[in-house]
Amino acid sequence: MLGLADKAVLHAMAFGVTDCDVLVSQSKYTTVEIEKGSVKQASLSSDPGVGIRVFKNGSSGFAYCTGHDRRAVLRAVELATAFAKAGTPDPDFKSLPDKSAPRRLNGLFEARLHELGPDEVVALVMELAEVAGDDKRIASVNAAVNASVGEVALVNSNGFRGTQRMTSFDIFAEAVARSGTRMFSGYDAFSSRKLDHKSVQTVGLSAKEHAIMGLDQTKIETGDYPVILDPLGAGFLFAMAIGGGANADSVQRGRSYLAGKLETRLGVEGFNVHDDPTLAWGNGSTAFDGEGTPARKRILIENGILRSYLHDSYTAGKESIKSTGNSSRGGSIWSYRHPPVISISNLVVGKGDSSFDEMLKETKDGVYLRVTFDYPNLATGEFSGLMMESYRVKKGELGPAVRQATMGISLPELFASIDMIGDRSRDAFGVRTPHLRVSKARIAGSG
Amino acid sequence: LQDIAQKAIDRALKSGAEFADLRIESASGTNIVVMDGKTKTVTSQIESGCGIRAFIGGAWGFAATNTPTQSSVVAAAQSAAKMARVAQKKAKIKFAIEQQRAEVKFEKYACKEPPSEIPVEDKLSYALSQDRAMKDRDSRVSSTNSRYDDFEVKRVVANSFGTIITTYETWTLAACSAWARSEGIMQRGHASVGNVGGCELMKEEESQRLGQSAADQALRLLESKPVPAGKFTCVLDNKMTGMLAHEAFGHACEADAILAGASVLEGRIGQSVAAEGLSLVDDPTLERTFGYFGYDWEGIRAKRHVLIENGTLKGFLHNLESSSRMRIKPNGSSRAQTYQNTPIIRMSNTYIGPGDWKKDEVIEEVRRGMLIQGNQYGYVEPAKGQFMFKCDEAYEIKDGIVGQRYRDASLSGVILEVLKNVRSVGNDFKLGDPGYCGKGGQSARTTDGGPHICVDHVVVGGLA
Repeated sequence: MLGLADKAVLHAMAFGVTDCDVLVSQSKYTTVEIEKGSVKQASLSSDPGVGIRVFKNGSSGFAYCTGHDRRAVLRAVELATAFAKAGTPDPDFKSLPDKSAPRRLNGLFEARLHELGPDEVVALVMELAEVAGDDKRIASVNAAVNASVGEVALVNSNGFRGTQRMTSFDIFAEAVARSGTRMFSGYDAFSSRKLDHKSVQTVGLSAKEHAIMGLDQTKIETGDYPVILDPLGAGFLFAMAIGGGANADSVQRGRSYLAGKLETRLGVEGFNVHDDPTLAWGNGSTAFDGEGTPARKRILIENGILRSYLHDSYTAGKESIKSTGNSSRGGSIWSYRHPPVISISNLVVGKGDSSFDEMLKETKDGVYLRVTFDYPNLATGEFSGLMMESYRVKKGELGPAVRQATMGISLPELFASIDMIGDRSRDAFGVRTPHLRVSKARIAGSG
Repeated sequence: LQDIAQKAIDRALKSGAEFADLRIESASGTNIVVMDGKTKTVTSQIESGCGIRAFIGGAWGFAATNTPTQSSVVAAAQSAAKMARVAQKKAKIKFAIEQQRAEVKFEKYACKEPPSEIPVEDKLSYALSQDRAMKDRDSRVSSTNSRYDDFEVKRVVANSFGTIITTYETWTLAACSAWARSEGIMQRGHASVGNVGGCELMKEEESQRLGQSAADQALRLLESKPVPAGKFTCVLDNKMTGMLAHEAFGHACEADAILAGASVLEGRIGQSVAAEGLSLVDDPTLERTFGYFGYDWEGIRAKRHVLIENGTLKGFLHNLESSSRMRIKPNGSSRAQTYQNTPIIRMSNTYIGPGDWKKDEVIEEVRRGMLIQGNQYGYVEPAKGQFMFKCDEAYEIKDGIVGQRYRDASLSGVILEVLKNVRSVGNDFKLGDPGYCGKGGQSARTTDGGPHICVDHVVVGGLA
């Protein structure tokens, strides 16, 4: 694959472009899905392809083709070159990353996962469904297990040449509980670069327990309440609020609520966030980023102070600084179909010293938010979204599920009102975070 | 391609499949992103490949290859049959795929100006002009994004019933986002157009005003307040009514959610689920709309589906599997994003039908409430029965008069309650913005719409 990437780079440079990078990739996905407790589908797909990005006077052209056919690749090189020449010059583009050695990193590829056969994936998803459905109140279990393997070769015109193999293990379970006319679903998921058998049990159990917990339902009056954020809810929110907000391209264009906030206080003392592509078996871990910058840990928020944005070579060049290595080719298994964009690798929220039970105990009249799939408005830094799965907390006790309620808070207020940080973390949506308690958020309810 | 398709289907059947189907695609496309007056990326895509399914006794096997040669496709067919056997061993729910009439058809969707015949310079010129239109609108517009997409695909859908549908499909889309800043406040506006058709779309008046529309929205929002949280009577505009139709009800009508035991609408056909007089329709047959298709991705002729008629639930959206298991005719609602994906049940153009109220009357009836305009995004969990969507703009309604402008309102509701709370339905029917609906890791082009409607007891989330 390196040879094909080398040839494509040479071909592009012969057309008079100034910079070029080529990603040659080969990936394979094995997925088994369960519907209502029965194995529904087993899939096997392979996806070789090549993505070519070229620059001419700072103007970027990108083309990709499926497969590794040499003629198709050369045709894609020509298209990318023609597109770059058609675009507008951009003096803000300085250069792609210099030649460097990819970081030596363990925990990207697991041979056991690579060798997993479809029968074994079926056995894992069956076990997951059995655990999630092990209660007479569970009427249906839908689940999936996916084992993926990817191999990439990345070459750029500055002499960077890197290869890496990556594996990914992803599981998901949704248990649906019924009691009379009441119905509720519990969901959980897990992703890692290695097969983790224990996660099959924890995800299944969690899906089942939350489905059953949600059968007991209540409404809530509109008002201000303390909110305990589960890592699932916090992970989804922070991936966009911090990952998207600290995107240097948005910041430089003045589109982010974090623009102009570098070295200013953003959150409480003790609120620490960093991005770490070197985490062993982390789903976003990588030896080099999507442009060939070697992976390294980067502190973003230190004791509440915003310390850094997320850069690629373009945004770093604009400020004459070094890229933070946050150019992403998308997901745990890289894709050749899109030009690289700035993204988190593994975002890590620092742990505190409160247990979940202590957070509950300290909450006399509040809400525990487990799941939301809402995005903050990154321009204003305001968040207003549905609490898809949340529970009432009264006198330190976890109560019934809250129906039809939303949470509203500005992100700076959220970071500044974190008053308890959990002592145990889990990964969700590319973010490793503990539970967090926010002292006050606006809840709109139907009560 | 048809010969390759036939050989692959034969191989799947010889390998033990009771039913097999495939999608072979050859596609090309362009994507242009302009930011702040300069091109950010100009992308060319060249795709080809085949996805094939084999069915054995209640389970599916699927394999995909992006080397669509005869040997690779036939090998994928064998692989799909093997995967089906592996899955079938543990399938507890047994059923068969009901035989359907074989259809052989060649279709070319209407397209006056095929994107592949338009120079990239012309497409760039359009994207740059809309970007410039945003900046030129007002000095408070601080940052801009203009985007242009086109896609052309030749797709062969074939199955073991003998169906072979060959489709030439072209679609185009353009979108603008503007950020406006004033006195430390920043707001974003957006606008989009899309069609199944060619670059002629970019000459239409709405496409020519796209940048201006996005900039105007951002500028309007500069003069808005955070929305107050609480329960309100809400008047939804055409776009938000469409989102309600899609998110609040459409997804729960997808029969795969019913079979999975994950929709609150299971067992409710024939029951009252909405206010009297209200209708909800999914119609892929509206030519040129962004949700249009002639045959679905399983080779079934697309049809208009009435999901709710006069307040009563009438039916669901089906694919071959759900119709076989529920013993009704398939209604052509199965789509796959690409050959790399298996077809799943999707909406197309989803809307609430018109009523007989004038738009102004719908608003004048409200004593204390909100007018909700423009859709950003929404989502639903049919098993929890809850949905939410986020609007672009909200306005206070006091004694029938529209007043204070608000921003960042999110609306939430309960599937089985919201349509029963519809108080009035306007006669100003319109299909809204084109968009992409996400489900099961796949995206599908869709449109939604309807008239202005008034809904009681909507929970509005906000910061105030």
